[in-house]
Amino acid sequence: MIEKTQVIHNKLGLHARAAAKLSHLANMFTADIFLIYNEDKVNAKSLLGILTLAASVGNEIILQASGGDEQEALAAISDLFNRKFDEES
Amino acid sequence: MIRIKGKAVSPGIVMGRALLYNFEKEVIQAENIGEKSVEKEIWRLENAVKKSQAQLKKINRDLQKIMGKDAAFIIETQYLLLKDSHLLDEIRGIIQNKLVKAEWAIKEVEKKYLKIFHTIPDLSFKAKSNDISDVLTRLIANLKKSSPATSAPQPGQVILVADDISPSEAATMMSNKRLLGLVLNKGGETSHTVILARTLGIPAILDTVNATDSIFNGDTLALDSVSGEVIVQPTPEVAAEISLKIEKFRLYKEQLKKLSQLPELTLDQHQFHLHANIELPFESEIVQSYGAQGIGLFRTEFLYLDSKMSISEEEQYLIYKKIAQNIFPHPLVIRTYDLGRDKSDPAAPRHEENPSLGMMAVRLFLKDREPFKIQIKAIMRANASGNIRILFPMITEIEEIHAIREIMAEAKKELQGAGTYPGKDVRVGIMLEIPAAVRLIRHLGDIVDFFSVGSNDLIQYLLAVDRNNSDVSYLFSPYHPAFIHILKEIRSEVDRIGKEVTICGEMAGQPVPALMLLGLGFTNFSMNALAIAEIKRVFTRIHYARLRKIVSQLDSFGSRTEIKTFFKKSLLELYPDLLDSQRPL
Repeated sequence: MIEKTQVIHNKLGLHARAAAKLSHLANMFTADIFLIYNEDKVNAKSLLGILTLAASVGNEIILQASGGDEQEALAAISDLFNRKFDEES
Repeated sequence: MIRIKGKAVSPGIVMGRALLYNFEKEVIQAENIGEKSVEKEIWRLENAVKKSQAQLKKINRDLQKIMGKDAAFIIETQYLLLKDSHLLDEIRGIIQNKLVKAEWAIKEVEKKYLKIFHTIPDLSFKAKSNDISDVLTRLIANLKKSSPATSAPQPGQVILVADDISPSEAATMMSNKRLLGLVLNKGGETSHTVILARTLGIPAILDTVNATDSIFNGDTLALDSVSGEVIVQPTPEVAAEISLKIEKFRLYKEQLKKLSQLPELTLDQHQFHLHANIELPFESEIVQSYGAQGIGLFRTEFLYLDSKMSISEEEQYLIYKKIAQNIFPHPLVIRTYDLGRDKSDPAAPRHEENPSLGMMAVRLFLKDREPFKIQIKAIMRANASGNIRILFPMITEIEEIHAIREIMAEAKKELQGAGTYPGKDVRVGIMLEIPAAVRLIRHLGDIVDFFSVGSNDLIQYLLAVDRNNSDVSYLFSPYHPAFIHILKEIRSEVDRIGKEVTICGEMAGQPVPALMLLGLGFTNFSMNALAIAEIKRVFTRIHYARLRKIVSQLDSFGSRTEIKTFFKKSLLELYPDLLDSQRPL
C-alpha cells in the first residue's frame, strides 16, 4: 500500500464534475484507491463518496492505493489534481 | 368554484382536467425478507437501474432536441450517480445484510447521504441532495413491475398540479405533448421548470402555496397565467368567459407574430431598437422569432451556478460563440456574473448584514478574480464573429473600471500567447444601476464604449426601497420625479461623450413606462422576449415628436401620481385606443 499527500489546487474543489473525472480515472485501475480527508475515508471509485468529502481548494487530502497498479494509479490521480482537473486554462 | 392565486411565469390560458402528481408520496415500510429472496431483490434492483438509465438517457435526448447541449446541466449528475457502482453496491449490501426489500434499502441510502450533504456548509454541495433524491426516487418507481417513472396515469392532455417537481420530472412531462398547463405550490422564478415552460409555451402558475389542498384529480381547471389565477371547477358562466379569453389570447398572439415582422420605426420614422434579455443559451435560438434584433442582456449567473461554479474557459467559450453565431449579425451583450445579493446565492459571502450594499457582482469578483478572469477570457476569445460586447454590473467608481481594464489586458495577453485571440476587441460597457455611476459618465469617454441602465436596481438604490418588501413596494415607481431626472441626466451625459445607452430593466418591457423612456430620448431597449411584440405595437403607433412634447412637460410635477396620471391621460388624448390591445389583461 502506498500513500501520498495531495493539495487541492483547483478553485472549486471536489465538486460534481471534478469528482466525476476523478472517479472515472480511478475506475481504470485495478488497485483499491481511497481518499482520506479529515476523519473521512472514501472510495475514489465512487462519485457519491467523493462528493460527500466536500473538499475545497487549499485542502490537503491523502491518496491511498493498494494493489497491482498502485504506483501508476497514484501518479495518474495526482497528476489530475495538479492539472486542476483541466478546469482552469 | 374556487379561485387560487399564484405567480404567473409563462403566459397563456387553458382549460383542462387536473392531474395531481405525486401528491400522496408512497410510504415505504421496512419489510423484512427471507434469505432466499435476497437474490430476487437484487435482480429487481438491477433491473430498475437499467430502466432508470434508459429513461435518463431518453430524457436527455428529448431535452437536447428542444434545448441543445445545455440539457446536460439538468440530467448529467443524475446519470453519473446511477453509473456509480459504489452507490449500487451500498444498496445491495443493505439488502443482503439487513434482509430488507430493495425499496427500503434505497431509502436507507438516501437518508444517509441527505444527512451528510445537509451538514456541509457549502451550498454548492448542498444542491447535490436534490439530484440524489431525484435519482433514487426514480429508482424506487422503477422497482414496480410495469410502471413508467411517473406512477400517475396519463389520460391524454392534463393540467399538472403538484407541490413541486424535480428537474427530471419537469423535463419528462414537458418534452412530451401531454402537458396543457402547470400549477405548483412552490417553484422559484429561475428554476429549470420555469424556463422549460416558457420555451415550450406551457402556461404555468407557481407559488400558489396550497393548490394541492384545493384541487382534486379530475377537477376541471381554468388556468389563466396571464392574470395569475387558477379557477377550480368553474361555473358554466365563468367557463364561457374563459373560453372567450382563450380565443382573445389566440388572436393576440397571432397579431404579435405579424408585429414582429414590422420595421422598428415610429409613425414619424424615428428609429428604435428592441433587444431580448436571455438567461439560458438555447433562448438565443428563439428570440428572433419574437422580433428581437439582438440580445441586449445575456445573464450569465445560470452558467456559473448550474455548473456548481466550475465552468471552464473552454466550456464558456463554446457557449458564447454559439450564441453569438445564432444572433449574428445582431449584437450579443454578455453581462459578467451578477452574483452575491441574494442570501440563497452560493456565491454570496455569509453573514453580511446588508447584502445589497455589500460584496456583490464586480465587487465580489475584483476580490476573487480567478473565475472572473476565466469568464472574461472566454468572452474575448469567443468574439470571432465580432458582434460580442461585454457588460460589467454594479459599477460604483472609476477605479473599478481601471481594475477591470487591467484584467482584460492580462486576459488578452494570455489569449494572444496561447494563439486563441480572435483579433477583434470586444466592446466594453458598464451598467448604470448605482446612482453614483451616472456622475462618472463624462469621465469615461476613453474607457467605456456603451452603457446599460438597469432600471430596477437604479430605482431601488435611488429611492432606497426594496421592491420585494410588500410594505414599501408602493414606493418603487418609475414615475418618481427624481428617477425621471436621473434618466434625463443619463441621456444627456451619454450624448455628451457620444456613446450609446440601452435600457434593460423591467421598465423597458412595460408599455407606458417604455413610452416615457422613448419620449425621454432613449432608443435602445432590451427586455423579456415575450414583451417585445407589445412594445413594438405601441411604439409603431405613436409619433416620436408628440411623445417628446408630452414628456417635456413632466418636469412641472412633483408627485409620482400626478406624473403618471398626466402622462397616461396625455397619451390617450392623442391615441385613444393605444393601450387597449387584444391583451386579455
